[in-house]
Amino acid sequence: MSEDQSILICDDEADLAGELGEFFSACGWRTIVHLGAPDALEALHAGAAPTCLLTDLRVGHFSGAELVAATRRLPAHLQPRVYCLMTGHVLDTSEAKDFGVDLLYVKPIDPDMVLNDIQKFLDGA
Amino acid sequence: MIFLSHNLRAGWRAWPTALCAVTFSLFVATALLYISERKEQALLSESVTTSGWVAYQAQLEYVKTDDALKRAALRPDAEALADVGLRLEILRSRLPLLYGSEDGRMLPEIDALTPVLQRFEIVLDGMIDAMPALESGSAPKEPILKAWSSALAPLGRELQSVLMASVAYNNNLFERERSLSEQPTLVPLALLFLSGSTLIILMLTRARRDREHLRAVEAARRAVTEMERNLRGVVQAAPSAMLVVDPAERAVRFINPAAAEMVHPSLDHPDWTRLIDTSLEEVQIGDDGGMILRIAFAKSGGDVVSLRGSLCPVMWEGRPQMLMVLIDNSRTRDADLQLIQAAKLATLGEMATAIAHELNQPLAVIRMAVANAHRHLDAADAREAVAAKLDRVTTQVNRAKRIIDQVRRYGRQPSGKAATFALRPTLELAAGFVAEQYRACGIRLALQLDVPADLAILGDRDLLEHVIVNLLINARDAFEQRAMARPRTVWLRARLHDQKVLVEVEDMAGGISEEVMAHLFEPFSTTKPAGAGAGLGLSLARSVVRDMNGHIVAENMRNGACITLLLPVARTPATREAA
Ligand SMILES: Nc1ncnc2c1ncn2[C@@H]1O[C@H](COP(=O)(O)OP(=O)(O)OP(=O)(O)O)[C@@H](O)[C@H]1O
Ligand SMILES: [Mg+2]
Repeated sequence: MSEDQSILICDDEADLAGELGEFFSACGWRTIVHLGAPDALEALHAGAAPTCLLTDLRVGHFSGAELVAATRRLPAHLQPRVYCLMTGHVLDTSEAKDFGVDLLYVKPIDPDMVLNDIQKFLDGA
Repeated sequence: MIFLSHNLRAGWRAWPTALCAVTFSLFVATALLYISERKEQALLSESVTTSGWVAYQAQLEYVKTDDALKRAALRPDAEALADVGLRLEILRSRLPLLYGSEDGRMLPEIDALTPVLQRFEIVLDGMIDAMPALESGSAPKEPILKAWSSALAPLGRELQSVLMASVAYNNNLFERERSLSEQPTLVPLALLFLSGSTLIILMLTRARRDREHLRAVEAARRAVTEMERNLRGVVQAAPSAMLVVDPAERAVRFINPAAAEMVHPSLDHPDWTRLIDTSLEEVQIGDDGGMILRIAFAKSGGDVVSLRGSLCPVMWEGRPQMLMVLIDNSRTRDADLQLIQAAKLATLGEMATAIAHELNQPLAVIRMAVANAHRHLDAADAREAVAAKLDRVTTQVNRAKRIIDQVRRYGRQPSGKAATFALRPTLELAAGFVAEQYRACGIRLALQLDVPADLAILGDRDLLEHVIVNLLINARDAFEQRAMARPRTVWLRARLHDQKVLVEVEDMAGGISEEVMAHLFEPFSTTKPAGAGAGLGLSLARSVVRDMNGHIVAENMRNGACITLLLPVARTPATREAA
């Protein structure tokens, strides 16, 4: 079911990005990992068109929220179907829509739950 | 002005000498004048006497001759005639004396009279020649003698006039002599008076000066006594402990009540010797060259007090001693430390979010690694893959531990104890503490630590770390307030400079505004919103740095602020406990 599914992961924490990539690969996803938002955006421009964009909120100067906003401005065929944002910050009242994303997680994340949520989102969409 | 007064003073000093010289010369002049006038007077009176005598003798002889002539005319016997002959001869011998002798020449108008006298000499010679004939002759003698008397009458008048002139002249001379005899006493008297006066003036001046000098000396002595009394009063009343110490004998000579209360009322108590020894051992030289004391002193009761103060040389009861002023600043120090602790906890509070975020990072990695390890458990090559995951977990656990250690160290209650510690690791720890926040704000923290890794300084390590962290957070906050400031770099530098070590925190975040700069190191001066900053960071930094005998300065440069600490390098790397 996830044969043709792909995910673009953007996190400046290399270890974390690596583990995330490994997890999604193991689950049968095609994964693209980037450690910086500019690189990720470039890949998106170049037509990576992943099913899912999973980014950390704070990725260097260029924040994850900025990456999401920039991606949203891409032509429809280049846009991911689901936007996920992770953050290390403790969020009290913030919601996914405050950041313009579909799913919002606070680190440390439970990858199975994230995968589940993404699947559900894609199925529902 | 100074030159003039110097000249005046020199003149004032020369003036008694001049007075002495004047007095002496006046005395000599008086003596010389007196001697010369005395001589002149003697000479004059002598000449007056002798010249008058000559005139008088001549006149007397004339009167005697005329008398002999008149008596012979009345009774011309042989005796009378012989007497006439004798008188004529004597008179004849007197006349040349009038103009020919030294004394006679002094008679007034004697030159004009000389031919007259010489004429009479001829007349007299004629008479003397005629005497024998007259004596022996029988011719009536009376007419001849009368004729002779008449012939000599003009001589009598002349001699009379000479005598009169001589008397008048002598009178004149006597007048002069009298006036002279009065004058010489007048002038030398005047001179004597003058010299006496100068002498008196001289003595008066001297006496006045001596009196003034004496008065000045007395005033100075009074002032010194009063000052000593005042000093004792001040020392007695001073709230800080003051003691006069004999450093050679290691003994206390004087203590004020505050010192008695602080250590012991008895000067012989062994605590005093201990205090002196500690003080002399720990004394430091301040920037102004003064001797600074900063010691921890354990009282006999067991209490340890933190003492601050100074040492300075004084003259006490005529001997060179040391005055030691000490303040027990244990309480101020405790208050300072509490304030610092509060400020640190506030910083930690502000940083709680950042710390949580920082801890979540390794936890996230761990969570993912564990999830992936689980998947590997079913695979054939599970062992190796799971072992790799476990290594990663260990690394991340250590990372989390480091963060927690940093927080714990930062939150530790400062001890306030000074010890030598290595500067570089302390700066690195401070940098590590803010590293995550800097990363979060996209600020680069550039470390340029050009000092040996073991370069030691003296102070409280935790407090210095807090100072540096505050400077780094201030720089971060400045960037946050000026989002556009570029480059977003903060430099933390350390380098040696002149036996001291310079630590700089420089940013490019626009600098410190003038009004903030004016009160920068004052407590509660902040531009940050309530809850974000108490305005204590720099004021505490200053007190910490001062405790380390250092300086802290702030300046704006290159479009940013630069805070510089100048700290003395510790002399011995060995740890030693101080205040
Ligand atoms: N690097 C800097 N650039 C610009 N302004 C600064 C800088 N450092 C300090 N300031 C100014 O000086 C003020 C005082 O700083 P200080 O560290 O004493 O207190 P604070 O940071 O406001 O509060 P606290 O440190 O107690 O949390 C700051 O509020 C800020 O206005
Ligand atoms: Mg501050």
